[in-house]
Order: sequence, then structure tokens, then C-alpha cells
Amino acid sequence: MRLGHVIGRVTLSKQDPAFKGARFLLVQPFAKEQFRGAAMTPLAKGLSLVVYDNLGAGLGNVIGFTEGAEATAPFDTPTPVDALNAAIVDEVFYAPPHA
Amino acid sequence: MFLARVDGVIVSTVCHPSLHGSRMIICQPLDPEGRDDGAPVLAVDPHGAGRHQRVLVSTDGSHTRAYVKDPKSPLRNIVMGVIDDEDEKAGN
Repeated sequence: MRLGHVIGRVTLSKQDPAFKGARFLLVQPFAKEQFRGAAMTPLAKGLSLVVYDNLGAGLGNVIGFTEGAEATAPFDTPTPVDALNAAIVDEVFYAPPHA
Repeated sequence: MFLARVDGVIVSTVCHPSLHGSRMIICQPLDPEGRDDGAPVLAVDPHGAGRHQRVLVSTDGSHTRAYVKDPKSPLRNIVMGVIDDEDEKAGN
């Protein structure tokens, strides 16, 4: 699982039936600077991800998302999902030894 | 599996049911010389590892699903143990 900022939403007008009722978030994964509390710099470096969401995260939230095979684990039917929102994060307590 | 240092914890109330009651720590992956290697990741911590302790993290999702007793859990990383000592280090 990794942390990321929700920087947008994705809405689909036509979609695969497997995505019925799905919400999609545009997420910027945390680099080390964001753990330290730096302001998010959307699209600065690294890819932004589209993350499946059934928890109801909103713009500006910090979420914990899983990627890969585990992202599809909660679904009853095979669902083509690469990344899934597993937690809306309330607090991040981060204290590296040499910061 | 990889070595990591515990650099923090996160708190979440709205989350997948399999996360309820599990401690979720921020793990800084380490290279063989003990330097930070990449961005931190999250892991379930059944052992209660302390801040800045070094841990062994498994990326085997099936073990994590067994630990949280939920075959439909989206979790993958889990702390397998807290490291006492590393004798062999590159360059010594």
C-alpha cells in the first residue's frame, strides 16, 4: 500500500459493465517530500494514477491505495482494476531519524 | 521480502473492513548499506515494531490475507519480524 493525494476525479460516460457504480479518483502518489509535509505538487514528477474508490474519498484527501493483484481481491467478479482505495487517511505521523 | 525502517504510523477510520484493528506503519525501504531506498510504503504490523526499528517486510499478499482473516483483503505488505542485528554488511 502507498499513500497519495486525491487531485481529481474521473467520470466515464460509457464504461465496461464491471465498473457499474464505480468512482474513480486521480491520485498523485506520495514522494518522500510529501511524507515530510511538503505541499503537493500535482504532476510534478511521477505518474498520476487512476484509483478505484468505493469509500468516498474527495478532492484533497490523503488515501492509502493498493496496486496489482491485491487491488482486485475485494471484488466478487473479475474486475479490471489496477489500483484500489483501501483507506482514507486521517493522520500521518512521520518522523524519519535524520530529518 | 525487504528490509525497512519504521518511520511512522497512519490513522484511518474510513477504510476496508480488513484494516480494522490492524496497526499500519510507514516503512522506509533500506538498501544493503542501510541507506534509504525509495519512497516509504505502508505495511500491516502485527508485532508492534517501535519507531526507527528495522523490520523485515513481506510483500506476499496471501500471508497478509490469512493474517487479517479476510480472503478479500486488498492488503499486501506485512511485517514478518523485527531485526536484532545484521552481521554481514557489504563493504565490511
